Amino acid sequence: MSEENIGEGRYLYCIINSGATQSPGDTGIEDNPVYTILYNDIAAVVHSCIAKPYTTQDNAKAAEWILSHNYVIDCAAKKFGTVLPFSFDTIVRGSDEVVSCWLKKSYMTLKEELERLKNKAEYSIQIFCDHEYLAKLAGGDHEFGEMKEMVDKMPKGAAYLFRRRFELKMKDALSTEASRLSQEFSSNIREHVEEMRTDEKISHVPEKYAGKKLIAAFSCLVCEDKAGRLGEALDKINKREGFAVRFTGPWAPYSFVRRFDEPGNAVQKREGIEYGS
Amino acid sequence: MDPEKENNIVDLLDRCLNKGIILNADVIISVAGVPLIGISLKAAIAGIETMLDYGMMEAWDTGTREWYAAELTKKAAVLVDGEEILLRTFGSIRESRGIIQNWRPGYWYITNKRLFLWNGEMLFETPLYGVKALTVETETYFDKEHNILILHINGGSIRIRVSDVIEFREAIEKVSLKKLEMEIPAF
Repeated sequence: MSEENIGEGRYLYCIINSGATQSPGDTGIEDNPVYTILYNDIAAVVHSCIAKPYTTQDNAKAAEWILSHNYVIDCAAKKFGTVLPFSFDTIVRGSDEVVSCWLKKSYMTLKEELERLKNKAEYSIQIFCDHEYLAKLAGGDHEFGEMKEMVDKMPKGAAYLFRRRFELKMKDALSTEASRLSQEFSSNIREHVEEMRTDEKISHVPEKYAGKKLIAAFSCLVCEDKAGRLGEALDKINKREGFAVRFTGPWAPYSFVRRFDEPGNAVQKREGIEYGS
Repeated sequence: MDPEKENNIVDLLDRCLNKGIILNADVIISVAGVPLIGISLKAAIAGIETMLDYGMMEAWDTGTREWYAAELTKKAAVLVDGEEILLRTFGSIRESRGIIQNWRPGYWYITNKRLFLWNGEMLFETPLYGVKALTVETETYFDKEHNILILHINGGSIRIRVSDVIEFREAIEKVSLKKLEMEIPAF
């Protein structure tokens, strides 16, 4: 399809709780001018583009896009308090009018959502533990000593199988201990947050924590006035021997905003996406 | 402690790509592109070991295994009457033809009657009473040490690999009702 046939679109950054016209300037992805489309007392922060998703094989470029996406959202959050962030690369086919129709249609839900998330922000918490310390907690260092003694006396073949069995047993013990700790931390944190989610996947941890075991990762929705308390609770964990806490935020409430689709729809939509070419 | 806010790309990836509002299907949309850059970017940022640690590669790995399993079932192993499968585990066997040696992969089956390696065709087969012992040897290929299992059977021995040695050995012992000549100290 040539670009002329694709037609126009609007790239969506977030929904804000303000009915006044805003023009934050050329701060969007690829320096596009960002503006707002209003309906009543809410607005969508957008830039105008062709109705075609941003894709690239160039990681540096993709990183720049994602940073710009979040930058626009952060600026809006600074100015208007709570915003509802869109997922990266959410593009509506059509003109301002189409967006405004959608705002009208979804007004009640969006307004409720803005109200629910008012004065709250998302924080990310990751708790790490030294491998050796975790093994100690799981009772492994004692057994490891015993195992070494026995292995030294064994013929080579038997020692291999014995070691392998020991490794499996240790792995089990470590993961049991890790999930026990994760539950303990989650109950320490819970009283300071409105909502919390366990993050199943963390795609990257900073160098500082490399070589440590990730015990727990949570995204938490926190009231502005409770962030200090949460920090204190995390401080206690951070000071425990062998543990380190990574606490980041505040983020726009990416993990807590309603997805505005039925569970089935998202899958159907994504199936239509081409993965390369 | 105070939260950090570095606006680091790595902190944003999981949030911006997998979370946030996604629109209704009936509204107009093109949501997209996300899987392509999402995956490649995550892959570039996280080292491969990190990805394994955090489960990123699992889907891929499972996919490959499922594909392989499906390929295999197209030509399912034929069992004789009254034969039951006790263990099926991935592995291989070393074949030697003159100076050419190679590993042929497949699934090791232990049934109540025999032990065989199947990958659409029968690569190896022996009745279980013929299995005498299982030993481990360390061999060096390309300057790296590998542990290889030697299965001693009536009339010789074969070199094999099995993904779970302990399970494999226990299944043979269970069916043949005898201890293999190899003691593994118990815990």
